[in-house]
Amino acid sequence: NVEAVGTPKRNIQLSNIVEEFAEGRRTSKVMHETPKKATVEEPKTPKSARGRPRKSTSTVVEEYKSTPKSATKLKLIRSGAIKPNVQARDAPVQISPDDQLAVARERLHVSAVPKSLPCREKEYSEIYNFLEGKIIDSCGGCMYVSGVPGTGKTATTTAVIRSLQVLAQEEEIPTFEFVEINGMRLTEPRQAYVHIYRQLTGKTLAWEQAYNLLDKRFTTKAPRRVTTVLLVDELDILCNRRQDVVYNLLNWPTVPSAQLVVITIANTMDLPERLLMGKISSRLGLTRLTFQPYNFRQLQEIVMARLTGTSAFDAEAVQLVARKVAAVSGDARRALDICRRATELAEEQSRKVDKFVSVSMGHVQKALGEMIASAKVQTIKCCSRMEQLFLQAVTAEVARTGIEECSFLGVYSQFEALAAFAGVTVPNPGRAIAICSRLGASRLLICENSRNDIYQKILLNISSDDVHYALQASSLI
Amino acid sequence: MDQAVQVISARYPCRKALIQKLYQLFGDGDPFPPAVYLYGHTSTGKSSILQAFLPLLDSSTTPTSWAILSAIECYTNKILFETILNRLTGHVPCAANAYASLASVDSMKDFVAQLARLSPSRSYIVVLENAERVRDMDHNVLPMLLRLPEVTGLNVCVLLVSDLPFEKYFVRTGLAPVVKLFVAEYSKKDILVILMNDFEAVREQLGMELESNKHANLSEEEIDKRLKIVEMLKPDFYENYLNIFLNVFFKVCRDLKELQLVALECFHKYCEPVLDGTIAADDVTRLWRNISKTMKLALGTIYMRMGNVNQELLRPATVDGQTSSESVEQMQTMKRLAQNLELPFYAKFLLIAAYLASHNAAKEDKRLFMKYHGKQKKRLQTVNAKAKVSEKMATQLGPKAFTIDRLLAIFYAILDEKVGLTCNLLAQISTLIHLKFLNFASGEGTIMDGSARLQCTVGMDFIVHIGKMVGFNVRQYLCDFF
Repeated sequence: NVEAVGTPKRNIQLSNIVEEFAEGRRTSKVMHETPKKATVEEPKTPKSARGRPRKSTSTVVEEYKSTPKSATKLKLIRSGAIKPNVQARDAPVQISPDDQLAVARERLHVSAVPKSLPCREKEYSEIYNFLEGKIIDSCGGCMYVSGVPGTGKTATTTAVIRSLQVLAQEEEIPTFEFVEINGMRLTEPRQAYVHIYRQLTGKTLAWEQAYNLLDKRFTTKAPRRVTTVLLVDELDILCNRRQDVVYNLLNWPTVPSAQLVVITIANTMDLPERLLMGKISSRLGLTRLTFQPYNFRQLQEIVMARLTGTSAFDAEAVQLVARKVAAVSGDARRALDICRRATELAEEQSRKVDKFVSVSMGHVQKALGEMIASAKVQTIKCCSRMEQLFLQAVTAEVARTGIEECSFLGVYSQFEALAAFAGVTVPNPGRAIAICSRLGASRLLICENSRNDIYQKILLNISSDDVHYALQASSLI
Repeated sequence: MDQAVQVISARYPCRKALIQKLYQLFGDGDPFPPAVYLYGHTSTGKSSILQAFLPLLDSSTTPTSWAILSAIECYTNKILFETILNRLTGHVPCAANAYASLASVDSMKDFVAQLARLSPSRSYIVVLENAERVRDMDHNVLPMLLRLPEVTGLNVCVLLVSDLPFEKYFVRTGLAPVVKLFVAEYSKKDILVILMNDFEAVREQLGMELESNKHANLSEEEIDKRLKIVEMLKPDFYENYLNIFLNVFFKVCRDLKELQLVALECFHKYCEPVLDGTIAADDVTRLWRNISKTMKLALGTIYMRMGNVNQELLRPATVDGQTSSESVEQMQTMKRLAQNLELPFYAKFLLIAAYLASHNAAKEDKRLFMKYHGKQKKRLQTVNAKAKVSEKMATQLGPKAFTIDRLLAIFYAILDEKVGLTCNLLAQISTLIHLKFLNFASGEGTIMDGSARLQCTVGMDFIVHIGKMVGFNVRQYLCDFF
């Protein structure tokens, strides 16, 4: 029984709604229609608003005037007749081609995706073969792509699709439609239907309607239907308790008339087994691809590929970045960000000495220090003396009791003893609570609300070795 | 302005330092501090001084709007924000505007936006009384209130008034700094000064009462004579009285409002012999002897605000002087309570049974309530148990929970006659629960399957009186009572 899971409870009768704008062709008619509707409705809105008497200040009057206008605008937006756009600048800032550091910085930007992704040729060809086969066979199918963040999953997939689109334009393969949704951009899993429908037709509907229309589109046979490629990024966000959205997205490809190819992307390798229901993971199939984290050679190659033609970077500087990042996560975005920061540091220096300075090991070292090193030791060093004493008291209390969680009362008695050793006057418990809450706000400690004052539980949020190290550095111990 | 401070200081004596501090913060044209936390005990004059102080600001160098509201009234954010806005702008929701507030403000964001629209040429003060309630509101309310000028760009100050020290307010994400103002308690001397201020009013009231209240047993010339004595009363006389009064009351109560009320009540009694002419106005020792008994009675009923009942109680206890009047008084009130409570006969027994079930250990039931309970072995443990200190006695530790089965068993054991277990009897148990003589310790929903546990909430004296009314000696059945 296919219908049972995904069917929404509110079933709208849509027998008379014909899918008329399926290809999004009749926009001119929409443009023509909507203003007419709006003029009909215009007198209506103030009438309904007048029912609620309000103080007639100028602001309220303004609201009245603006309501109908915005209502028509909203209608136009929902029908897809007007597109959202952003305010444009006068002219883009020009970068001189001989400013090596600026050019390098621009190329190193994470959003500047290169045409061909280095070190991902195997994955590229795998996705390419899969998609090409499905499009040529005009059948449906699923693929699951996984890998830790920053390993080029989305970039590779979209690159494949871009090249396929080029091929389709040259009429070497059948044409196909491409729809892309991202789980993180949805407020709710069911909004996925709305987004898919909007990308197919340009109209925004309520999710029930969008679901019904999509279901109709995919389950009914239509001549001259083209293949639809659906890219679902962040699949794990779409999984709620009922998992109806994921089920529908993965069930439509199994319908012969749908010609839907779904490529799902997520971070965890075992997501289908861990999170998805049996019938869903079985629909997801066994076509899977895992993107391994980059090793340092690959990271070096990625950065060098972006820097071809510039002499901004020393070779060993790039190697240092690659080795440091590969040891932690293998995230290419991280490596690129660190390189960018290093170019900024180099630029600063070159401005100071007034001649070109290439990015050297020293700059990279500094950038790594800024971006990788923990700020906690620095924070402790910059705490006031009493705060440092209080942190020390917490570590002493943890050492004394052997339990991680200690109460304020015990910490305060340690605090008194430490203050007596240090020869400073002890703040009263009220002040000590203020100190404690300051440390808690900077997340050096984890403490409760100060409402149950001396009985509040305190946890050290950093290792006690860090505290000792920082306090030794500030010569308190 | 300085003279305005003088005026308020005269109205609120012993608070000159606080008023000057407020003037420093708000009066002299500087930008206000973002937030001020004003704290001190109840009835130390925090709110009333603010109410007198804020109107003066508007006429001074900085034109100021202010809003005074209590955080208890604001049980949602919307009410809090809209009330603040309405009061700051002087907008009053009334029939003309269909009780709508200035603007519909649902969130903190809207509130800040609305505040930013206010005229920047004025200054604004928001006084939030009972500020401890702000901690129970949404998590962003307190941190945002403490930095309103920063987010609105206005010269606005939030004055939080509360009884608690500020240490109780810190939240896990930290708070902006606050100026803290402590209002100390009144000392004995301060209270004497404040109460002395009332002397003229008290004397007037005394005279008015004499004139209006035509005593049946007082003739015209008697009243005239008394009025003349009232006219002659000197501040010294009142001060002597207040000294005596404070000697008795200051140990137990420093709440000015309570002291004012009780001082007035007792003063009538204090004056009586003087008006009669039996004791001279300057004979302090005899007046003290005369009033001491009344004062001790009043001491027992302080904070109870009994009004007429209090008057009646304060009548000198001439009825029976066998024990100390205080304990007699307490016994009488408890007795009266027990007598006024009209419970059915079986309900009284049920209540007694509940008390016994709550205050006796279940293992003692066999010995206490069964006729043939076998021979009791005397063991060292029981001997030790007998030598309990008073703190460990079951009557002191508070009621224990019991099941309904045990309650009914004890009820049948202490009732001499045999009565059927009818629905009336069970309905009486539920009525006792409804009247809050019993309450659920656990298992509120499972009363029918017998796992619900009850507690008895009435005290020993009360139950002893109930026992006397039905002719049952409760103490005999309390294993811890000797």
